[in-house]
Amino acid sequence: MTSADDTDIEEAAPSAVIYVYGIVPADVQPEEDATGVHDAPIEIVTHGDIAALVSEIDPDQRLGTPADLQAHAHILDGTAHVAPVLPLRFGAVVSDRDAVVNELLAEHEDEFASALNELEGFAQYMVKGRYVDEAIVREIVDESPEASSLLETIRDQPEELTRDARIALGEIIGHALEAKRDADTRTTLGALSPLTDTVTVREPTHDEDAVQLAVLFEVDRQDELERTVGDLAERWEDRVTMRILGPMAPYDFVVTPKPEG
Amino acid sequence: MTTAGGPSSSSLADVIDTILDKGLVIDAYVRVSLVGIELLTIDARIVVASVDTYLRFAEAANRLAIGSEPKGLSDLVSDVKGSGSTKSKTKGVLEGVGETLGELLSGSGSEREPAPRRRRK
Repeated sequence: MTSADDTDIEEAAPSAVIYVYGIVPADVQPEEDATGVHDAPIEIVTHGDIAALVSEIDPDQRLGTPADLQAHAHILDGTAHVAPVLPLRFGAVVSDRDAVVNELLAEHEDEFASALNELEGFAQYMVKGRYVDEAIVREIVDESPEASSLLETIRDQPEELTRDARIALGEIIGHALEAKRDADTRTTLGALSPLTDTVTVREPTHDEDAVQLAVLFEVDRQDELERTVGDLAERWEDRVTMRILGPMAPYDFVVTPKPEG
Repeated sequence: MTTAGGPSSSSLADVIDTILDKGLVIDAYVRVSLVGIELLTIDARIVVASVDTYLRFAEAANRLAIGSEPKGLSDLVSDVKGSGSTKSKTKGVLEGVGETLGELLSGSGSEREPAPRRRRK
């Protein structure tokens, strides 16, 4: 499609390009003062029944600060409260507003429209559990005679002298944590199963992660999700801190087709 | 091990976990790409078994108060009691929903306007 010696086509860098947050139904309307990445005003570019939430961005300005990431998430998650939205991955930029229509919306009108249709009324929630670290370590040691005896060995001994025992103990704890994470994830999935089966398990990103689930759920029924997770939180109150995040854009439920060619 | 992450630091972490590797990839759709993104160095997906991790776990165990005098546990229990038993704990979870979004809203320091609303059909 492109050839390597096309390079001289490039002209002077444009002063502004268009950052794209996500795809929404055309009847979504940004708040007048809504701002996104680099505090630029949020605009909407429509094409038929679908639209893109965008803002101008200076291509020479750095992108990727915590504020930028949060601005991106804020716009998408704020939208997910009121309308279906297909989130783009952070950092998507096209050359201008026409390109938003011609290269993004028009070419994929049908698939975007049908995905938005399916998402109507739904948003993503994250169900997250974090082990209470002292409680979970105690639980593991209490359940393992081997760990208890290794703990006796290292008790109040200098690290240099007990290094092997420490590594052995730590290994037991590490494996036990994995097993507990699996079990507690299964328990959470079981608790959620009467509500929905659109659940994705995320990989842990922290040693003390107990549960990380993305759930696609009706926004109108959020209280049911809260009750279910609340029951778990109550049951696990001394060992796992449970949280729900959302409603947010369905990041874990959108799939990019493989580019052809 | 550190204690379970406080909400203030986890908010950005939650966002990072979510938006950096998820969402539609525009390059698959559109030829024009990208502003150079200067990402923070991120160690997501890093639950790796290593000697350091094991030593850390062992030290966490070593810090546990000894069996018959579970100081840690009683701390925990009084914490729970202090926060008004299970009811308020559950409430804490439920409030987490709004709270987290609140953090997001205020996260960047400046007060952001609410995001788009919908002109109903």
